Amino acid sequence: MSFIIEGFQKAFVLILSLDKEIFQIVVFSLRVSTIAVFLASLLGVPLGFLLAVKEFFGKKFTVVLLNNALAIPTVVIGLVVYSLISRAGPLGYFGLLYSPTAVIIGQFLLSLPIIVALTHSAIQGIDVKVRNTALTLGATEIQAAWAVVKEARYAVMSAVIAGFGRNIAEVGAAMMLGGNIRGSTRTMTTAISLETAKGEFGFGIALGIILLVISLVINIFLSYLQSRKV
Amino acid sequence: MEKKSLLEVKDIKKFYDSKVVLDISYLSFEESKIYAIIGPNGSGKTTLINILSLLDKPNSGYLFFKEQNIYNKSTTNTLKIRRKMTLVHQKPFLFKTTVYNNVAYGLKIRGEANENVKEKINKSLEMVGLPGFEKRDSHQLSGGEAQRVVIARALALEPDILFLDEPTANIDMRHIDVIERIIKKINHKTKTTVIFTTHDLSQAYRLADRIISLLDGKLVSHVPENIFRGEIIHEDKKQWFNIMENIRFSIVTEKRGMAYIYIDPGDIIVSCQKFYSSARNSFNGKIIKISQQNNLIRLVVDIGIDLVCNITYDSFQEMGINIGSKVCLTFKASSVKCY
Repeated sequence: MSFIIEGFQKAFVLILSLDKEIFQIVVFSLRVSTIAVFLASLLGVPLGFLLAVKEFFGKKFTVVLLNNALAIPTVVIGLVVYSLISRAGPLGYFGLLYSPTAVIIGQFLLSLPIIVALTHSAIQGIDVKVRNTALTLGATEIQAAWAVVKEARYAVMSAVIAGFGRNIAEVGAAMMLGGNIRGSTRTMTTAISLETAKGEFGFGIALGIILLVISLVINIFLSYLQSRKV
Repeated sequence: MEKKSLLEVKDIKKFYDSKVVLDISYLSFEESKIYAIIGPNGSGKTTLINILSLLDKPNSGYLFFKEQNIYNKSTTNTLKIRRKMTLVHQKPFLFKTTVYNNVAYGLKIRGEANENVKEKINKSLEMVGLPGFEKRDSHQLSGGEAQRVVIARALALEPDILFLDEPTANIDMRHIDVIERIIKKINHKTKTTVIFTTHDLSQAYRLADRIISLLDGKLVSHVPENIFRGEIIHEDKKQWFNIMENIRFSIVTEKRGMAYIYIDPGDIIVSCQKFYSSARNSFNGKIIKISQQNNLIRLVVDIGIDLVCNITYDSFQEMGINIGSKVCLTFKASSVKCY
């Protein structure tokens, strides 16, 4: 029992003393997850939009696949990307394995389905009148599309935040692709898993608390956006 | 001097599921006039206005803007023309933001400078009688206010043509008058060509320089009075048009089944008593409305259904009739035109 109490004591000391290593890991995690979700949004929001407004053969099946992709275990994404970028893989030439870029690729693929799926349902909920009104006011097709996304802005923002939430909390892809290298690719989740295994309980708890606070902030923000009733 | 035509329609056809919903051989609109497109529900008014405002395309035919064939143009040039006109939909739709941002939308996407935008917004909100509404949130507006903001948003673009689809269909009586006055004012002050649809004939008369009348997707040369839907029955070598159970007109046609008929209000003879003549249709009725219209007196007579008849002012005086007077209406079977 005492190791838990000691762990918490040590954790608070680490947090309050702004321990350099802890915060280096936090900053790295935030940076990697933010870049990944940013890139996934650049692709995912337009894809979700097109999926909502365009009719094409196999649309229903695509939506089923997409919803299924939401449940892909992070280690499976890790496995797939690993096989592509490892030395012997087709993209091995670039030497990406165990680099921050590899973690970003993994998290990009993790958050992409969430962003596409949530954007798709957000856009579907928007009145066709938005597009028509924009067109009557002289908008081009792209400007009209943007007007629709803007009307759905809160729901689209919550799609992006949900993607970020998945990235920051996942451990499988970051572990397999980043390799948990100290000072280079160690994220909050991989560090917690390693330090706990090493018996460095305080270090793990400190990161755990920070991670919980971050997800709490994200969720408060998310429920605020959802309460704006898009 | 003949006015230049702003918009011209030639041989336009539009189908939905192989059903012809619009079939117009020629129609032209001149600058700075007000046009009313009138017709019953499903007559193709909205389809026509969507085609004219370039929101929809016909399956065949041509549309000319200032004598340029629009369908031959590149996307960029079509956009340029599309930006010279705007359509206000039947149900006002406002973006979820302030009145200012709503009215600014069309100007911003045209890349107008900020100071111009501000000035134009002020001007157009003033035009619809809502100055100082800039900071209001769109969801705080009443139905009538929203309709006026939507019109202001269209006006800010200073369009050559303003299209209004049933501008007063969804607002209360009190606001109808306001909207009608705004439409007149827009046309008068800015010389904007206004084209609107309505199924209210009196509104068309109040506002429009010209009335375009549609029936079943086709232009009809008369205003849609005395138009009825019913069934043509062939009986003992005679043809009848059944409107209601107890009312039927004698008609001359080869057609059968459901159809529209039209009786020109000038073809109906109004008399105080029944008289014998070659005309096959004769009905007793009661006058329920009297109005003056283009030097003629327009009577609405209830014979079980309302029939409109036009008589001269002199006849009206001589007959000494009034609201509630009993009269007899007589018209020939060949006066009943069938569609």
